[in-house]
Amino acid sequence: MRYAEKMRQANREAKATVIALVLTVLVWIALGFGLAGSGIEVFHTPLWIIGGTVGTWLFAIVVAVFLSKRVIADVDLDDEGDGHDE
Amino acid sequence: MTSDITGLAGLVPVIVFLVVALGIAVYSRQRAAKASQGGFVGEYFLGNRSLGAFVLAMTTIATYGSVSSFVGGPGQAWQTGFGWVYMAGVQVTTLFLLYGIMGKKMALVSRKLGAVTVVDVIRARYQSNALANAAAIIIVVFFATTMIAQFVGGAKLFAAVTGYSYVVGLALFGLAVVAFTTLGGFRGVAITDALCGIAMLVGIVVLAGGVLSAGGGYENIMDTIAANHPEMLEPLDAGGMPVGLYFTQWLLVGVFTFCLPQSVVRTMGFKDTKAMRNAMVLGTVIIGFMMIGVTALGTLSAGVLTDDLATYGGSVDNIIPLVIVKTLPPWLAGIAIVGPIAASISTVSSLLIAASSAIIKDIWLNYRARKAHVQESVPSDGVCGQADKVRDDRLVRRVSQAMTLFIGLAVFALSITPPDLIWKINMFAFGGLETAFCWVLVCGLFWKRATKAGALLSMIGGTAAYCIAMAVGFKLFGLHQITIGIPSRLLPNRLAKRNLSWLIWRDTRSITTRARLSSRRSCSGGRSAWRIPRRNRSRMPTISPIMR
Repeated sequence: MRYAEKMRQANREAKATVIALVLTVLVWIALGFGLAGSGIEVFHTPLWIIGGTVGTWLFAIVVAVFLSKRVIADVDLDDEGDGHDE
Repeated sequence: MTSDITGLAGLVPVIVFLVVALGIAVYSRQRAAKASQGGFVGEYFLGNRSLGAFVLAMTTIATYGSVSSFVGGPGQAWQTGFGWVYMAGVQVTTLFLLYGIMGKKMALVSRKLGAVTVVDVIRARYQSNALANAAAIIIVVFFATTMIAQFVGGAKLFAAVTGYSYVVGLALFGLAVVAFTTLGGFRGVAITDALCGIAMLVGIVVLAGGVLSAGGGYENIMDTIAANHPEMLEPLDAGGMPVGLYFTQWLLVGVFTFCLPQSVVRTMGFKDTKAMRNAMVLGTVIIGFMMIGVTALGTLSAGVLTDDLATYGGSVDNIIPLVIVKTLPPWLAGIAIVGPIAASISTVSSLLIAASSAIIKDIWLNYRARKAHVQESVPSDGVCGQADKVRDDRLVRRVSQAMTLFIGLAVFALSITPPDLIWKINMFAFGGLETAFCWVLVCGLFWKRATKAGALLSMIGGTAAYCIAMAVGFKLFGLHQITIGIPSRLLPNRLAKRNLSWLIWRDTRSITTRARLSSRRSCSGGRSAWRIPRRNRSRMPTISPIMR
């Protein structure tokens, strides 16, 4: 991959990361504030606490795995080995 | 505070930890120095871009996770309840944002430029010495205040838990961190950060055991909280935790942390994209456990420390030390305090090496290269002999280590008579750095038309707006001043593009010429930021070469 292509790939990955952030925010709101009025308790703990903290965390891990395995491409970071970027 | 653990129990675990950290830092540095091919500067300030996934993830987390994550934040959570834990959950995004947005681009760009610091990249991108100097000064000032806050927080905790004096604690770990950073450089810092990260996790687990057993089990603690403070189980804490606070905390400790220069420099230091990808997953798992875990422990402490704040000295910063003393036997308490102290020293070490690099690499070496260029006529290739180069490398090495030592000792001295409210000082610096660097970095890397004048205006103007707003306590809609700093930086970027383009054109031309000339010099003390890859020289940029 040429340098310019690698830079474009990095742009795409950055955009995907921003989308992932927006999704995480939505999940955080839904599992926290969204469940705050539900009145459900698990282990003497209101459900929104588990959803908003552990739930968001688990979602972020899923996001990180997805970005890492599906979105971010392995490239040679040094520009020397793959010819001139002309 | 009345009860503390005295004697060796409070001291031995910390000392053992510090000795191991010092040993590892020095050993790794020596081994790397022997194997090193490149110049001293790249090795000392960036570890020759060799970080693997585990060390990368841990050094990012340990740099980010500070003593206020362990003391101020959980203390606040003791008072506010689970809303604070919910808010702290935003920090799970920090690692994937940093690597996902900045990671690959910074890795590509910094390799292409031979950049060692974040300021190197900013200088090359915007072709501006003024901007680079402003950035370096902002880094030194805000890093210094943060380091003091970290030292103060760590030493106060140490004093409160062990009963030894504040100065003893400060001298013990303060001098240790200055020593291992001076000797170990970036590589030593990264590896000790990994060790610190492990110590932080151990500290959390030990403290969790103490809190849960002292409170009579998890469910019992939850029942106590529900009986004493039912509002602590509401996200808004009956008005104590308004939505506006959630919003600004999201920005301050979540979304914009990927712009912090001490984090961004780590994306220049990993060895390949595989390391970055794995660090993203590993780091998200660990930072979630750490930040949610330690903050939740603060809230759960409300099942152990059930009186009001005045009983505990009137400051939420006292809560965690008291919980450690109250719930753990002396030897375990000694182990538990290694966690927050590790959080403190891992942040200090990273900021110290970065502050030193700002002065040495971004200001001194750059100034020297320019001055040398002015004094001499245009040099030809290979004018400097091998002996000159070796001598020069030795000089740079000595001055770099002396500067690291000097900043460290200066910060240490300032911490002896400490300012109050560590949490707010730290937040001030956090917001100031985010304000200063966010758009400059993001626009610089992702927006081809971002201009030098825009960046300069927005870095200085935004930081000034933020600091003035913080100083006079001005808030928009009751939100934290970060909401003033961040947008105020975007405005001039757009205005300046239209109105000041002549200025940019003129200055870019002169810098381009100098860059071309000094890139031929071969003895400027390591790879200079001015160095532009050979094949690009023929068509030097009207916009920066790294943006193509």
